[in-house]
Amino acid sequence: MSNEVRFKQQQTYEREPARRVFATELREATYHFKDGEDEKSPAYVLLPTGERCNRIFIIGSMTQKEKRGEQNLFYQFRVADPTGIFFVSASSFQQEAMQQVSRIEPPAFVAVVGKPSVYETPDGRIFVSVRAESVTVVDKEMRDCWVLDAAENTLKRIEGFDQSKDAALTQEHYPALDLKVYRQMAYEALRQINL
Amino acid sequence: MDLSEASKRISQKFASQSVEVDPAFIEKKLRTLVEEFGVNLAEAEKTVTENIAKEHGLESVPRQTSEQREIGSLLPGEWATVEGKIVGLAKPFSPSISQTGIIADATGAIQFTAWARANAPLVEEGQSYRIESAVVDDYRGVPKLNFHAGTTITLLEENVAALPQVVKVSDLRPGVASMRVKMVQEWEARHERILQTGLVGDESGTVKFTIWKDDDATELEVGKVYNIFYASVSEFQGRLDITLNGARCFPDEEGDIEVGVGGAQYRGAIVSIGPGSGVIKRCPVEGCNRVLSRMNYCPVHEMQSDFRYDLRIKGVLDDGEKAHNILMQREVVEAVTGLSLDDAIEIAQNSPMGMDDVFYRLRDTMVGRYFICAGNDLGDTILVKECSPITYDRDRHAELLNRLGGEDNVE
Repeated sequence: MSNEVRFKQQQTYEREPARRVFATELREATYHFKDGEDEKSPAYVLLPTGERCNRIFIIGSMTQKEKRGEQNLFYQFRVADPTGIFFVSASSFQQEAMQQVSRIEPPAFVAVVGKPSVYETPDGRIFVSVRAESVTVVDKEMRDCWVLDAAENTLKRIEGFDQSKDAALTQEHYPALDLKVYRQMAYEALRQINL
Repeated sequence: MDLSEASKRISQKFASQSVEVDPAFIEKKLRTLVEEFGVNLAEAEKTVTENIAKEHGLESVPRQTSEQREIGSLLPGEWATVEGKIVGLAKPFSPSISQTGIIADATGAIQFTAWARANAPLVEEGQSYRIESAVVDDYRGVPKLNFHAGTTITLLEENVAALPQVVKVSDLRPGVASMRVKMVQEWEARHERILQTGLVGDESGTVKFTIWKDDDATELEVGKVYNIFYASVSEFQGRLDITLNGARCFPDEEGDIEVGVGGAQYRGAIVSIGPGSGVIKRCPVEGCNRVLSRMNYCPVHEMQSDFRYDLRIKGVLDDGEKAHNILMQREVVEAVTGLSLDDAIEIAQNSPMGMDDVFYRLRDTMVGRYFICAGNDLGDTILVKECSPITYDRDRHAELLNRLGGEDNVE
C-alpha cells in the first residue's frame, strides 16, 4: 500500500490537503509515521478518527504569544478552539509565518495553515504541536465557519472510519479508541456557537 | 478475394464523379497487380483508383458514392451531396479560398470552404443550392465542407428550410451553433485584426467571442441580449471560442438573461497564495503576454523596458480533502478583494516594499478564509471565473447539530 502511494506521488506531485481537526482530537494523536524511506517522504500524524494528516487548517483565538530563542528567534503561541488548545510555533524555517505572527497581538482570531508533529518529552510524555506555514488574522464569522467545517469533517471521518485505508493502523495504535468521544466533542463544539 | 466486386466498386466511385470507366478494364488492371505482382487486393484497389483518377484529371480520389445527406449528420472523411441554404458568408482570410460561409438545412449547419483552385461558381447568401460531391473534413475539431474541383453546385429554385436550433452555451461543441446570449464583457483587443472580443453568456455559462475586422462586421453592445444564428464555434487549448463573422446577430431590446458562470463549483479555504500573485508585468510584444521577471526579462523577447501591468492570484483552495490549484485573473481578483489594478499599480510604485506590498495585502485578505469558486478545471489548475466569500450558515449549523446530536444517533 505505501509503495503504491509513493509511486503515485513520484509521478505527479499532489499537494497534501489541510485537514480540519479539533484541538482535542489532535492532542490525542500520538502516532506519527513517514510514508517511505526518503528524506523527503511525507510525514504524517495519524488522527484517532482514522485519517493520516500531513497538514492542517485551523481557525481559533490566538491567546498567548511568546518570542523565544536568542540567535534563532521563534514564536510560540496558543490557538484555542471550542474543544481545547493547539500549540503552534513559527521559526526562521517558516520565515513568512514568523513575520506574520510578529505583527499579531493576542487576543485575535487567526487562521493557521501548518504541519502537525508529534514530540516526545525527556520524561516520556507525548505532545503534538503545529509548525505554522501561514498565520492570518480573520474575524469571528470565519471562526464560526471553521467550527462547522471541522465538525462536518470530523463526522465524515467517523462515519467513513470502516472505509478508511488507515482503519487497521488506527485500531492498532489507538487500542482504546472510542469514536463516540469525537462525535460528542464535535457536537459540543457546535453547541458553543450561538445559532 | 473478389476482383470483380472491387472493380465494380471502383467503377461506381467514378460514376458518382461523372467519369465512366469500364469495370472489365479495371478488373484487368487489378488482376495484373494481384496475380502477377503479388500485391494484396486492398493495396491494388487503391493503386488502380489513384491511377484512373490521375488519367481523368481528378483532384482527388472519390472515397465513396455520395448520396444526398442531411447536414446535421455529416462526419469528417465523408463525401457528400447536400441541399442547403447559405445562411452566412464570411470574408476568406486567404487568397487560396474564394468563399467561406455556412450552409444549413433543417437538420443542422456546417461551415463550408470553396477553394479558389476549384473555380466553383460563387454562392449567394439566402439562396439554396445542391452541392454534389463535396468533401467533409475537420480542421481543429471543427467539421467543414470543402468545395473542390469535382464539386458541382446548382442553384435550387425552391428554398431549403433551415431553422436554427438554439443551444445553451454549456452545450456548445465545435462547429456551427445558434444561441441566445447576453454580451457581458468587452476585452482589450490584443490583435490589430480583431474588431471586438469579450464574453457572451446565458444561464448555463459564458463563452469567449471574437469579431474580426471586416467591411460589414458590427460590434456588440455590453449588457444587450442577442439572438445569434450560425456562429462558428472552435476549440483552442480546451476552451471554446465563437466567431461572429458570418453569423447573424439580432439584438433583443426587451429581453434580459441572468448570466451564469458555468463550470463546476469548488468550496474551501484558501490556504496559500503563491509566488507570481499580485501585480505582475507582462511582455508587450504582440501575442506574447508572458510574465516578465523582476528585471523586466521575457523568456522569449529578452529585456523589455515597456510593459503592461496585470493583477492575478495563483493560490490553493483546499476543502480538507483535496487541495486545488487556482488561478484568478484580474477581473476576479478585483471583484473579490476590492483592490483594483490601478490601486495595485499605485501601491507597487509608491510603497517602499514595491510589488511585494500588493502580494502581502492579497495574502492577508484572502488566506485563511472560506470561498466558493466557480470555474473550469484546466487539468492541474482551476481557472476561477467567479469567487465569493462563504459566510456563516445557520441552516448548516442546525443540520450538523441534528446529525451529531442526541444519543439516538450514536451507535
